[in-house]
Amino acid sequence: MANTRIFGYSDPLCLKAGETVDFKVSVEGARTVNAQLVRLIHGDENPLGPGFVEEEIRSSIPAEISVKRQFTQIGSFAIADDEERKLDGLQSFTLFAHFFATRIKAERQQIMGQWCVDEQKGYGLGLDPSGHVSLWLGNGGKVDQIVSETRVVERCWYFVAATYDGTSGRASLRLINCVNSWNSRISTVVPFGLDSWIEEKLATKPARTAGHVRFMLAGASETNAQRGPHTTLLFNGKIDRCGVFGRAVATDEIGALSRGEMKSGDGLVAHWDTTAGYTDKGIGDTIQDIGPNAIHLEGVNRPVRGMTGFNWRGADSFRLAPREFGGVHFHDDALTDSNWDTTLSLDVPDDLKSGVYALRLDGGGTQDYVPFIVRPKRPKAKIAFLLPTFTYLAYANEHLAYEAPIAQAITAHTPVIVAEDLEYKKLEEFGLSTYDHHTDGAGCCYSSWRRPIISMRPKYRMPAMNFPWALPADLSLIWWLEHAGYDYDLITDHDLHAEGKSALDPYKVVLNGTHPEYYSEEMMDATEAYLADGGRVMYLGGNGYYWVTGLRADEPHCIEVRKLDTGSRAWQAEPGEGYLACTGERSGLWRSRGRAPQKIVGLGFTAEGMDESQPFERMPDSFHKRASWIFEGLGERELIGDFGLAGGGAAGIELDRYEQGLGTPPHTLLLASSWGHSDNYPLVSEEVTYAFPGRGGTQDAQVRGDMIYFTTPNNGAVFASGSIAWSQALPCHGGENNVGRIMRNVLNAFIRDGALPGSEFTGEEKLWR
Amino acid sequence: MPEMKKLYEIGNRPREIFLSPDGETPTRRSRVPFTRRHWLKWRSRYNPKSLKLEKRLEDKKPLWWMLSLGLLLLVTPFLGNSALTVASIFCMFAAINVLWTLIIGTAGIFSLATLAVVGVSGYAAAAFNVYLGVPWPFMFVIGCLTGLVAGGVLALPSTRLDGLYFALLTLGIVEICRVFVQQLKSLGATNGSINQVDSFIPSDWFLQREGLLLGFFGAFALLLGALLLFKLVNSERLGMLLQTARDEEAFAEAIGIDYRRARLMVFMISSAGLGIIGAFYAMYYRSISPSIFSLDQLLLLFAMIVIGGIGRADGAVLGTAIVVLIDKGLLDLGPVRILIVAAIMLLVTLLTNNGLVGAREQFRNYRNRKKSEARARRTEKGGEVMPEEATDMPDKQEIFYRRFNKRLRDELKLLITPELIEEHRRKPLGRHSDALSRVLNYFRRSEMPDKYAILRQPENFNHYKIVALSGERGAPPRLVDDRLYESIDEAYHAVFLLRVNDLLES
Repeated sequence: MANTRIFGYSDPLCLKAGETVDFKVSVEGARTVNAQLVRLIHGDENPLGPGFVEEEIRSSIPAEISVKRQFTQIGSFAIADDEERKLDGLQSFTLFAHFFATRIKAERQQIMGQWCVDEQKGYGLGLDPSGHVSLWLGNGGKVDQIVSETRVVERCWYFVAATYDGTSGRASLRLINCVNSWNSRISTVVPFGLDSWIEEKLATKPARTAGHVRFMLAGASETNAQRGPHTTLLFNGKIDRCGVFGRAVATDEIGALSRGEMKSGDGLVAHWDTTAGYTDKGIGDTIQDIGPNAIHLEGVNRPVRGMTGFNWRGADSFRLAPREFGGVHFHDDALTDSNWDTTLSLDVPDDLKSGVYALRLDGGGTQDYVPFIVRPKRPKAKIAFLLPTFTYLAYANEHLAYEAPIAQAITAHTPVIVAEDLEYKKLEEFGLSTYDHHTDGAGCCYSSWRRPIISMRPKYRMPAMNFPWALPADLSLIWWLEHAGYDYDLITDHDLHAEGKSALDPYKVVLNGTHPEYYSEEMMDATEAYLADGGRVMYLGGNGYYWVTGLRADEPHCIEVRKLDTGSRAWQAEPGEGYLACTGERSGLWRSRGRAPQKIVGLGFTAEGMDESQPFERMPDSFHKRASWIFEGLGERELIGDFGLAGGGAAGIELDRYEQGLGTPPHTLLLASSWGHSDNYPLVSEEVTYAFPGRGGTQDAQVRGDMIYFTTPNNGAVFASGSIAWSQALPCHGGENNVGRIMRNVLNAFIRDGALPGSEFTGEEKLWR
Repeated sequence: MPEMKKLYEIGNRPREIFLSPDGETPTRRSRVPFTRRHWLKWRSRYNPKSLKLEKRLEDKKPLWWMLSLGLLLLVTPFLGNSALTVASIFCMFAAINVLWTLIIGTAGIFSLATLAVVGVSGYAAAAFNVYLGVPWPFMFVIGCLTGLVAGGVLALPSTRLDGLYFALLTLGIVEICRVFVQQLKSLGATNGSINQVDSFIPSDWFLQREGLLLGFFGAFALLLGALLLFKLVNSERLGMLLQTARDEEAFAEAIGIDYRRARLMVFMISSAGLGIIGAFYAMYYRSISPSIFSLDQLLLLFAMIVIGGIGRADGAVLGTAIVVLIDKGLLDLGPVRILIVAAIMLLVTLLTNNGLVGAREQFRNYRNRKKSEARARRTEKGGEVMPEEATDMPDKQEIFYRRFNKRLRDELKLLITPELIEEHRRKPLGRHSDALSRVLNYFRRSEMPDKYAILRQPENFNHYKIVALSGERGAPPRLVDDRLYESIDEAYHAVFLLRVNDLLES
């Protein structure tokens, strides 16, 4: 393996020509690397297609750039905004918190404290490697601690109060079990009952810490020469209301605190009310101090909000009972912003062609592509290709092939990995996808572009299935549009989310990518309104408009999704934790919220399998003059797409189905369907009410991909081919094939103004046959 | 049909006494002064069978020490004079052996000059008292300083010489001391002894009941002091450093532990302690003679720590008790005593790994080995879980998985035919016969650790090798073999064959 490691990301990921993009690059093993701006045209190196195609672009980027190693802070935690340092140097104090530990691990974990690991100064409250609660103090030379009698049981709520009296040196640690019928993994029938209460005289007094050391929730400060200050002793689990007194509080006060009764007693330094700040639109990263000093905590790497608290009693959402949702979930492997220094900025020229670009970096035998997407300054073309950037983030750096035992059963493949994959996974510093689990087993609900993302590299193939996925797969459609000579603009999910319908309005036709799976309400609304207003959509993907996804308006880099209740879900949110903290909406499937994708584009998810794709076969409706123009140049029984770079067919991977019951418009024409899928294509779980055998492709008629066409008001229309593999069939046979023929027929019609071909054939059918 | 194994009932009553803490009142933990240690290691845990909170004494050694030393202190004053003397000698020798254990065990320096240090210090202290008139309380100081100097001199070559050579060197030094003292002209009249040494025992009590009692209490205090020193050195910082160094010297050095210095420190501290014992020895007998340098005495001491177990204070004390009882308590037996000691030593070295105190650990290991052997006989790998194994599996569902997967594998093995393998070879992906689908689905659902994957080679799109995943985040996969496959279908089929092989071998 090469000795040089190159990683980078662009911020923002998508921008308009004329704007500036920053590249953040980290290189180990070299001081300089060669840089070249390229436009990416095709990614997949499969010899059956055109192979990797890029175009070098002249730009202001120097040929050689100097680089450095950059470090990533992983783990979520919260830092106190304690400018007056009221929490530092406390001599007598009480730390209290409700907490829910999710993973006892070999390292110490700090729940809260002002602790400096390298200097051994300050105080901290947390869990030791054996799972006992501990309060530790250090004076720079010696550390002393008091440890609870009992071990903490994972995924159960506790209250802890640690007091320390600086004059007598006496410390006490009280751990109170808060398990009720609702809030924990186990209930009150389990006899883990007793509380623990320890008193001991400690030999060390806590010293005041250095200026850069901050009071933190779920982490502690550490500094070393190479990295500088960073956060360690990361905690896994939820922390609810918590606070600090500047004195050792009395026994009865501790009792009241444990029940959540808070009187702002004297000596209160900070009281963080994790339930303060909820609105119907969710909650941000600030944890409010409702005490006299207003020392708010600021979350780093997005601690997960909107989680059930110690007093939760079954309410479905923080919107119903905000006081019961004080849980803030911290993870030691969360990452939403690598926070690297900018290595290089590029002012994208106003006239740069819209496209997927990348900064190509070469050095020491290693190469990396840092992709970014450029949209024209002003819309130019009639065709817009809507790149599903939400999907790109949702799958960013996924670990399925490495960590999910069922992944091989789902994909019916032995994973195929490459050396670059191992380089990325070696240090585990580039975060997770929404398909992965944090180290404590909780699903990852945030994904951000502010980190190197291997799954957006143009040549990357998803290991679990051995073909390109998301951005590298969508490049096949870009190559074909170039090959077929269409003028097109790229727009992204982020643009659609931010601008709504007006992002689509300038275009005669909008093309979806291979897998537009993650949609926000704004995107659903915009697409629906565009179609109702005469817009034309070519839905060329599988499993689209599926997960309710959200993001904060001012932080587009990070999406949020909670996988919920039903659907093909890599994880399942805990009860009560299915609402998006960033928007206040119920997450899960759009279908569960009354907006099945069939209602907008006529098709919705029905089956997935990755072993083999099949061709489409024409259905009778394709011979109706309303739509027969789509098949101009094709034979009556010609198989459509019995080739492809994804599974060898145009219908496969993830398939969508026509279903009037779920909202497919009644006048929809079912043009073609795929047949012959293996049993590795089972009917999706949201369609399964009673489980019975025979729901695989060889036995269940609902396992198929459909191709449909329907018109919408004002000369609008939808052409949909519900298959991820569709666009990856386009580059086969030099780009001239029957899938491409259909694409040309539809595109040529859709980019013309006025009535659509075939739209006059609306008369009653008076047939002799 | 495989032979059905008999299933035995399991379960035990608890044999320990537990306290039940309640969370309503605080537990106050108190500490040994000047340390962060608690007096007793009371620890709580949830009993895994009942989930009740139990508080138990996790380290019971302090209890045994208290019991045995307390018994010694209480019973000895009521014993006869000769037994009283034996007890005192036991205390003195035990003290010497405890410090010797520090040198051999903790510091890992194989020195046989222990008695030489005691002797030299004793002689120095006695000489200062007899010839210079230094009062007896200062003899301890002189003994201590002499011990320190002697330790320093002995320590110097220990860094240059390894194990056996250093031991031989120290043996030589013992001999030099003996010859030197015996040939001293000034001591010629007394055959090398210094007599009439002043003592903490008043001279009119000497060899009287009161004197013997006082001597015993003094020796007992000496033993307590030696044990305290052992604890302070062995269980605190120095001992911890050396513990690390013992496992891996290079690693210890790499993380900045100067283990050579720590060893010398321990050697010097122990030698100073031995010096004090030397002074005490001279006072106890009111004289000191060259016999302290004699080889038989040294070998007797050596027998004590070998019988007890090297490296542990309880071993040193137990070994001393046994040998002193035989050697000094059974004087009537005459020279047979020495044979008995030799026989015990032989038995202990033949039968135990580390003396009598290691016997318990050894027994446990033996039982565990026997247990695994029995389990290996009774269960097959991946087969049904026996009741005795189930106690080690907290998630009981795993037990059913084992049963299910075992039976599933037995069924699947019958499906493996050349035709099935040929079917896979022709078409590794896609629609398969029912039999092949079943076999493949079993393979694909297996756990992550050691699950096969294919590694594309960087030089060619269609070059592949087979790896096995680690199942652990951040840990890379391992290469299964070096064979290169030149198409993806070939690689898929190779993985299939590996898996079929694993299935048939299970």
